[in-house]
Amino acid sequence: MHVIVATDGSRASLVGARQFKWIADSREITDVTVLAVVSPYSAVPFANELGDREPGDLTELSFSREAQRAVDLVAAEFDGWGPTIHREVRSGSPAQEIVRAAEDLDADLVSMAAGGRGLTRTILLGSTASRVQHSAPCPVLVCRPTPKSERVTS
Amino acid sequence: MAADVVERVPEHSELKRSITGRQLYFYVVGDVLGSGIYVLVGLVAAAVGGAFWMAFLAGVAIAAITGLAYAELVTKYPQAAGASLYINKAFRSPLLTFFITICMLSSQIAAIGSLASGFVRYFSSLIGLSEDSIWGATIIALVFLAVITAINLIGISESVVVNVVMTFIEVSGLIIVMVIGVIALVEGVGQPGVLLEFSAEGSPVIAVLAGVSLAFFAMTGFENAANVAEETIDPQRAFPRALIGGMVTAGVVYVLVAISAALAVPMSALAGNTLLEVIRADLFFIPARIMLVVFALIAVIAISNTTLVTVVAQARVLYGMARQDVVPSVFAKLHPTRRSPYVALLFGAVIVAALLIVGALIRSSQAGLPEDDQLDIVDRLATITVVFLLFIYALVIVACLKLRGKDESDRTYRANTPLLFLGIVGNLAVLVYTLIDDPGALYWVAGLLAIGFVLYLAEKFFGHKKDRPAGVGVGDPEAVEPPPSTDKEL
Repeated sequence: MHVIVATDGSRASLVGARQFKWIADSREITDVTVLAVVSPYSAVPFANELGDREPGDLTELSFSREAQRAVDLVAAEFDGWGPTIHREVRSGSPAQEIVRAAEDLDADLVSMAAGGRGLTRTILLGSTASRVQHSAPCPVLVCRPTPKSERVTS
Repeated sequence: MAADVVERVPEHSELKRSITGRQLYFYVVGDVLGSGIYVLVGLVAAAVGGAFWMAFLAGVAIAAITGLAYAELVTKYPQAAGASLYINKAFRSPLLTFFITICMLSSQIAAIGSLASGFVRYFSSLIGLSEDSIWGATIIALVFLAVITAINLIGISESVVVNVVMTFIEVSGLIIVMVIGVIALVEGVGQPGVLLEFSAEGSPVIAVLAGVSLAFFAMTGFENAANVAEETIDPQRAFPRALIGGMVTAGVVYVLVAISAALAVPMSALAGNTLLEVIRADLFFIPARIMLVVFALIAVIAISNTTLVTVVAQARVLYGMARQDVVPSVFAKLHPTRRSPYVALLFGAVIVAALLIVGALIRSSQAGLPEDDQLDIVDRLATITVVFLLFIYALVIVACLKLRGKDESDRTYRANTPLLFLGIVGNLAVLVYTLIDDPGALYWVAGLLAIGFVLYLAEKFFGHKKDRPAGVGVGDPEAVEPPPSTDKEL
């Protein structure tokens, strides 16, 4: 079984990855691909909020490097878990690229987190997650931080 | 540098870039075309006279030479930071880099204001509002600004397909103008002689110069292409072609549109007005009544598209500065679900709104003055944008020359050196002329720079004081301390 774990560099996506690990049975899974998507036309193509910020000067901000670091940090969660870990950074519209990756890799499951908590979530529902579950060629696990999952995964 | 990134990538991992050369070409054409011609054609015509196509030609030529320098630099450093990155690589002066970044931010903010005011001119024709209503126009501009900001807050990033569709819409409007120009010529409405007429007395060179700075605004936007350099497939090959190709395409369209407009309508009608005057001449197959609505819609879409791209670029500059602790880190805050830099977006919108309101206040206090002495907010904000950009462009060309021999590979694109020198002279000549011609713009320039300075001070005094040893310059690569804990950023 090949699983795609998507990250947008947010804390929620890291918690989501832990939640997936907690739910899933590693014996059934042969491969995990940790995927991040850089969206070049948006104001912030990718923002990594995980781990320490990389020191650098004003001009060296590289969004694909940010994405790579987020992927590395989420992939580190699966160290020693069993399945072979792959890392991938794509570029384009996040929902579309996650679906394409699932098609290209012939994935059996996509695991991703749905936004943060609070009032805005109800108004501006995490559209990437809903678009992916609408058109993915495989089951989609939408992880959502709950008090219980946070206790277990932290 | 791409090579470094690739080396660092561990096994089992890949980096898929997505933007092809053709998409980049459409991005450049779409970004450049929307900005100026729809908004500024009447102002350029008023400044020069029937020969105003020459001003566009000169503006296009200077901008295209600057584009050559950008193309060379992007192939060496395919990263998102654009001008700030090149200036930093060439001069290694944190202060200069900071200053250039603030100039870039200011130019974007002024450009958004100019575009929003230009939007009003077409939109009010759609809804039948009189252009004389200063506050009515300002309110429409502010609502437009709010809508554009909201679109960016929700984070609907333009898809590649939308981008190409928008570009086609923008071009279609200009093709209509060109067809009208051909009809005007065939039917003998306009005399070709008008194309060599200058309105101002004195030397034709000065007359053209007077129009160049405004015509130049029409070419701006191409530097935004550097924003997507990181995501371009094979940037060494694709970038110079797409950038120069896009600029030349836009330039040819501009010159043809300017010639068509001059042939189709008398200068007195065009001066100070929009391209709608060309449509109003009713030379097209379809009645002007219908075409006026169609064309206004096309113009509204074209201006909105360019404004969206400019707002995105502005928010990104501010976000990047905040991420590197040059301005308060609050500007790097992202909306938890939409992943948009909402503080940077709202701040930019507030400054643009302030510019528009100040403009309206000045304008309403000038009611007694003759029309020529009244403030034209589109003109003024476009001039400010151009002042900042001419300075940045000249410095980028200098940086390009200074970085010759460094970080080069056989795949690096190399711009023609004499042309680059000509570009420096061209940019500076227009800059000096613009400032002599319109010294009032300097107050606005100073005002925008002051905002940047205030942000810098805010970071210095209220930012992460303890993280930085005293006496070390901000932005100095060696001086950046380990970042504060991530919790603070959330």
